[in-house]
Amino acid sequence: METLVFQKPKSIHKDCKVTFCPGCDHGVAIRIIAEVLDEMNIADKTIVVSSIGCSVFLNDYYNLDIVEAPHGRAMAVATGVKRAKPDKLVFTYQGDGDFASIGLGESMHAISRGEKVTAICINNTNYGMTGGQMAPTTILGQKTTTTVNGRDAEVQGYPIKICEMASTCEGAAFVARCSLDSSKEIENTKRMIRKAFESQLAGQGASVIEILSTCPTNWKLSPQESHERIRKELYPVFPLGIYKEKTSKQV
Amino acid sequence: MLLKKGIDMGRVVIDSEKCKGCLLCVDVCPKKILKKSETFNAKGIYTVYADDKNNECIGCALCAKRCPDIAITEVYR
Repeated sequence: METLVFQKPKSIHKDCKVTFCPGCDHGVAIRIIAEVLDEMNIADKTIVVSSIGCSVFLNDYYNLDIVEAPHGRAMAVATGVKRAKPDKLVFTYQGDGDFASIGLGESMHAISRGEKVTAICINNTNYGMTGGQMAPTTILGQKTTTTVNGRDAEVQGYPIKICEMASTCEGAAFVARCSLDSSKEIENTKRMIRKAFESQLAGQGASVIEILSTCPTNWKLSPQESHERIRKELYPVFPLGIYKEKTSKQV
Repeated sequence: MLLKKGIDMGRVVIDSEKCKGCLLCVDVCPKKILKKSETFNAKGIYTVYADDKNNECIGCALCAKRCPDIAITEVYR
């Protein structure tokens, strides 16, 4: 007798077609979030705040309630949603340009205030949707369309490290950085997202999940080489792990 | 329960119209069953198919968890 061991999560539209570039890890991130919501059985009380960037078409995939925020203001919108509906699970789905460049003020202040929302930030070290320009998280020496000779610390400065920065805020309850480059890391990422949602439901404070993701089109690499690049070049700059975890006693 | 060798081992269901041919699933398959197809879909992409003549698939679902396009819709074991 056959048993079903994997199927498309129920929180994803039945006839959804993922429209990202071939090999882009966004699709995996969207799927594992939907799986976590299904496993925790909270899909019907979830409100998603989507942002501008490659994450903008979130309503095409999710079978959930979604608010579209202006560029960078996802955490500000999520604050309003959570304060109006405190019993809902509210999370934002943002890119690194949205979270750490135009929305850095909104994001850091929302985390500092300890808003009980979860921010999921997909870090692919460039602006993927607009054609691969330099983002705040672009690592030193990386070639993008606006740093043709590689990012130079003298001219463009150093990359912003989201998790290190967020973990210094007192309002942050759970801060972790994870990756999607291998099957093991995908499972780990899923566990981290679940922990962040549980932390939010327990009312401990803001939670931030930074996910290292690939952008094969703009990195001009194959999907396989992109994962190799994450392991070789991004791991030393952006170490994985849990940066802050509040236990229930500390709240 | 006796495990009859070669029967009911595992099965993957691939929606080739959703496949974009990134071949990430080919790398993670422990039995090397998934292969690049010779034919293409409506978008003109050479997709992936399961070449499982000897019923080797163990239904680990690693391919489905790796697939960024949810093109591997169901896995049976």
